[in-house]
Amino acid sequence: MTDRRQDIVLGGVFAAIGISAAVIAAGYPGASGVYPMALGCVVAALGLLVLGRAVLSGPGKPRILIDHGPRVAITLGTAAAYLGLVPVLGFYLASALLVVLLPPALGFRRPVFVLVNAAVFVGIVWLVFSIVLEKPLPTPFWSAY
Amino acid sequence: MDLIFDILGSVLAVGPVTAMIGASILGVFIGALPGLNPVMAIALLLPLTYSMQPLVALGMVAGIYNGSMYGGAIPAILLRIPGTPAAIATTYDGFPMAQRGEAARALKIACWSSAIGGVASAIALMTIGPILARATLLFGPAEYFWIAMFGMASIGVMVGSDAVKGLMAAALGLLLGTVGLDQLSGTPRFTFGEIWLLSGLDLIVILVGLYALPPVIALAEAADIKGLSASDLKLEAAKLPWSDIRAFMPTWLRSALIGISVGILPGAGGNIAAFLSYNAAKSASSDPDSFGKGNPQGVAAAECGNNADNAASMIPALTLGIPGNVIAALVLGALLIHGLQPGPQLFHQNPGLVGGFMVQMLLTSLLILAVGGAAATRVFAQVQRLPGVMLVPMILVLMAVGVYVINGRVIDLWVMFAAGIAGYVLEKVNVPLAPIVLGLILGPMAEQSVRRALLISRGDPTELLTRPLSAALALATLALILWPIVRAWRAQKA
Repeated sequence: MTDRRQDIVLGGVFAAIGISAAVIAAGYPGASGVYPMALGCVVAALGLLVLGRAVLSGPGKPRILIDHGPRVAITLGTAAAYLGLVPVLGFYLASALLVVLLPPALGFRRPVFVLVNAAVFVGIVWLVFSIVLEKPLPTPFWSAY
Repeated sequence: MDLIFDILGSVLAVGPVTAMIGASILGVFIGALPGLNPVMAIALLLPLTYSMQPLVALGMVAGIYNGSMYGGAIPAILLRIPGTPAAIATTYDGFPMAQRGEAARALKIACWSSAIGGVASAIALMTIGPILARATLLFGPAEYFWIAMFGMASIGVMVGSDAVKGLMAAALGLLLGTVGLDQLSGTPRFTFGEIWLLSGLDLIVILVGLYALPPVIALAEAADIKGLSASDLKLEAAKLPWSDIRAFMPTWLRSALIGISVGILPGAGGNIAAFLSYNAAKSASSDPDSFGKGNPQGVAAAECGNNADNAASMIPALTLGIPGNVIAALVLGALLIHGLQPGPQLFHQNPGLVGGFMVQMLLTSLLILAVGGAAATRVFAQVQRLPGVMLVPMILVLMAVGVYVINGRVIDLWVMFAAGIAGYVLEKVNVPLAPIVLGLILGPMAEQSVRRALLISRGDPTELLTRPLSAALALATLALILWPIVRAWRAQKA
């Protein structure tokens, strides 16, 4: 996709956000809505400026959005699965799975290194957050039984 | 003279010294860990200080504050993850330096710059602080509003290559800052019926997402399975020769003055000081294009600026009872815990304690050279020796734990994730992220200030421009916004 097309989409998205915010803010009582409404209008105006500038510009140059699509998809997919699993498996088990599974998925082929690293790293996190700072972290669902 | 000896005697006793050293080490550690921040650390610390002597408690606060402000530079340089919001500007040149194998040099520059900024700030607090603090009494809501706008315009225009996109990002940040309960009327705004949104979008959650996820994705895209060797990092070899120190002197002096000036303005924090110092160094440079590509002056300016804000932010807090930032507010909390009322009377009623805290701010700034320069920096620098693909899940875990412990909510993890994806895309289309973050920080202050100004003037908007100081700030803001247009017009004409 060219930078021109990207800027058209970008400007359109910001204009939509700004207009939506201004419309929603218009419904707030009294002075509560004036400031966000004004900001929504500014965001929309600047978005339209970016959009208009892109429309009026030349054919545009290629601008890469994602350097390596499959790796980005693997990373974001795994990260999303991890966030979804944290409340189910608990923070430490989910984190250990992430640290063990993601590097091989990205092409790292040293399983012993991965396992040792995962054990050391999760151990340090446990020591800092659970022992030293005593921060409560999500526990596995079965711990409730 | 007796008072000075009394203060030094109290501060240099075993308890306060141990507290300062321990807290400085802990501070660097906290600042260096993405997701942990000095605000959280000091907030956690406050309940523990009930049973301590005031100077032990305040020494710990000073150590964590100064240590963490330097510590934030460590992941900023090594991983492009600002450990604290004030370290965002450090990523611009620190990370490119690390990428070309100059991580240790960048860390050394950050260490010295932080110490010098902190010392300058503490000296300002001890000497000209009370005088400068009196000047802030002239500020009304209109001035506060324009200070926020000036900061936003400065960042929007100066950061990034496209001023329109920068301003657009700034406006979006200000808009995001309105999410939650309206502070003045209590009306929920943009909450869509979600209770967790009533308190607004958490800055640290957004910050971690915006600034940590894009480099994680970049690491995954690069798929480095070897990692840097120890020789690549040059950690042992880095020194700061006298010629470098001489070259950094003008930058340090300029940044220290900016940091101190920003610090005494309530509401403006180390992040603004760092950005303004960075922009000033860029403007003053004979080679401004090299900024953002690993210019050491950029690291020196950002780190000196953000640490020069530290003690200076205590000036309005201690003299007027108005916290310059969240940490200053926590210091006020520490004083109240010990039955001390911040304000002008504090200097008359407890000169030993106030003076002692000022000296502690100075000493903990100097401690950065020992603590940050030798131990912690080298420990944390080792993370770069791990293969990039190993760092990807580890950073994700640190992001998750850091974000979760703030409010103990799983939803924050998803907000962080969404912010990170947005940050990744926005960076790719040349929209700078810093103005969004700054908008989130300054937005509530800007709104409250403008609404208070209008309330005072019974709705007359000219109140925002009629006072000389507010008019000057408004003109400066306008000039900043118009400058890129004038520059483009001139370029077109030429």
